[in-house]
Amino acid sequence: MSLKSERRGIHVDQSELLCKKGCGYYGNPAWHGFCSKCWREEYHKARQKQIQEDWELAERLQREEEEAFASSQNTQGAQSLTFSKFEEKKTNEKTRKVTTVKKFFSASSRVGSKKAEIQEAKAPSPSINRQTSIETDRVSKEFIEFLKTFHKTGQEVYKQTKLFLEAMHYKRDLSIEEQSECTQDFYQNVTERMQTRGKVAPERVEKIMDQVEKYIMTRLYKYVFCPETTDDEKKDLAIQKRIRALHWVTPQMLFVPVNEEIPEVSDMVVKAITDIIEMDSKRVPRDKLACITKCSKHIFNAIKITKNEPASADDFLPTLIYIVLKGNPPRLQSNIQYITRFCNPSRLMTGEDGYYFTNLCCAVAFIEKLDAQSLNLSQEDFDRYMSGQTSPRKQESESWSPDACLGVKQMYKNLDLLSQLNERQERIMNEAKKLEKDLIDWTDGIAKKVQDIVEKCPLEIKPPNQSLAAIDSENVENDKLPPPLQPQVYAG
Amino acid sequence: MAQADGAPQPFKLVLLGSGNVGKSSLALRYVKNDFKSILPTVGCAFFTKVVDLGAASLKLEIWDTAGQEKYHSICHLYFRGANAALLVYDITSKDSFLKAQQWLADLEREFPPGEVVVMLVGNKTDLSEEREVTFEEGEQFAQSHSLLFMETSAMLDHRVTEVFSALARELLQRVERKERQAQRGDARLTLNQGPRGPAKCCAH
Repeated sequence: MSLKSERRGIHVDQSELLCKKGCGYYGNPAWHGFCSKCWREEYHKARQKQIQEDWELAERLQREEEEAFASSQNTQGAQSLTFSKFEEKKTNEKTRKVTTVKKFFSASSRVGSKKAEIQEAKAPSPSINRQTSIETDRVSKEFIEFLKTFHKTGQEVYKQTKLFLEAMHYKRDLSIEEQSECTQDFYQNVTERMQTRGKVAPERVEKIMDQVEKYIMTRLYKYVFCPETTDDEKKDLAIQKRIRALHWVTPQMLFVPVNEEIPEVSDMVVKAITDIIEMDSKRVPRDKLACITKCSKHIFNAIKITKNEPASADDFLPTLIYIVLKGNPPRLQSNIQYITRFCNPSRLMTGEDGYYFTNLCCAVAFIEKLDAQSLNLSQEDFDRYMSGQTSPRKQESESWSPDACLGVKQMYKNLDLLSQLNERQERIMNEAKKLEKDLIDWTDGIAKKVQDIVEKCPLEIKPPNQSLAAIDSENVENDKLPPPLQPQVYAG
Repeated sequence: MAQADGAPQPFKLVLLGSGNVGKSSLALRYVKNDFKSILPTVGCAFFTKVVDLGAASLKLEIWDTAGQEKYHSICHLYFRGANAALLVYDITSKDSFLKAQQWLADLEREFPPGEVVVMLVGNKTDLSEEREVTFEEGEQFAQSHSLLFMETSAMLDHRVTEVFSALARELLQRVERKERQAQRGDARLTLNQGPRGPAKCCAH
């Protein structure tokens, strides 16, 4: 009962979930209640409007300026002010970048930057794309702080990064593969430049590259993660549906060497699931990889506790598959694609993170291809489980219970009990019926036997033998007399 | 070359072979023997090990793969960026030897010839009375496909280190060859040609 009322508490009307524009797709709060497509149109319109307004403002300013120029020469001051306002708007983007670099790296250019800062403060930023989140700001600050420790190299890297981000801004309409290629090229160029020109030690290059990746990917994330131009979203939904349909797969079917009845192990399994789900919340590919690695470490621990020896790949992959099936991590395909496209490639093909990532790719590929044979089931059983007609868990309630809450466990116990009772009742009913039949058969049998006997020896009542009775016919009434009155016959 | 910038050059090595042939034991035995290397604390599916070959050293990154039949079709994902592959079979199982040949076909499909150093390893020589694959069979197959070849026993620690050193040596030789070609300004890139001559057999 309480469950029902709870459900009512969070009930959301279907119409509230749908796109505000009424196109029939689901909306998303992140897109102001629109679906991705309508939001894009809406957003595009807003941007167009913004550009339009900017142009109008520019034209108006120009007109004013001309008028002012025409009317008199002594309003020079006001004119230059309006003009500078227009100029400032146009160059805002550029100056801000340059000045921040200068601001952070050199103390001498203070005067210049101060002026630019005032300009920046005056410039309103109403357009949507200038809304930078707190996280982006924090990452930018950290990045600059970090690069400061590398002096000249840092400055160089910062400049390259800024240029790259600007270039990417104009490449937003390119296909995601091209954008990915640009990013990979950028990683390679920066690395090479540091190694050959800056003569930076490899470990330090790696460190810098990690920060570069963090900085650019935090900024690019919203444009390149699960972009509308690809079918990533469709693939996400497909794998999600597939995993849901496979909810009945037990650890035994996959030969998962993990015994969840050990509390420590089940704890590790829960942690591994949490880690793999957490992957979606990270923006930087490297942070996503770190989640996979953390998840893998927990899996290794779980196997080690169960088997009492370190796990090999033969144990690890099935367990990872099981964890993915149990966790059903959100936007799994998008995340994998995003990491593949935008992570520093050296990290994916080699290294421990790369190893675990490859295993995750294998797990997903396996789940996609999974069939009756790979679970050692007959095709009929597999089809029946897939269609939801039956669940193997009903028979194996013991092995299923560890992960369930108490209520569910109780329910399964009760179900078990009920089915047992049902069986017993049926048995009793059957026996009762049999008994009834036996009884009927028995009476019938007896009746038949009697009939037979009666038929065989029909009852014939013979007339009394007169001659025999005639011996003492005069005493016919004697039998009716009480004994003392019976006449005594003496032969002699 | 490899040591020029301090850290030894990393090479990726994939362990292939059907289940229960001793892939993991082979790697574990190899890594364990070296007291300098840090033992994996929890899992033994991914190892790194620095191989010192006197003049040069390199870092081997060993990737263990799941050998069960049902994972065969997805294992090509492990190949990406690999420099070397160890094809392991069990000398007491003909089936595992045939599987190793299948793995080789998979590798050849994924890489141009000569791009990866491949070594065929017959494991479990300690069970030689149950042997189903003769030494000659293994050797012959290796030779015909230009593979390195050895027989080992991970259990008795027989020739395990030799497997990995031979592999490392071959890897270094290929790198040097490539560098020499690059230095000569050899524009007619012949990097993808297979190893010269017949395979070197390191077992005898």
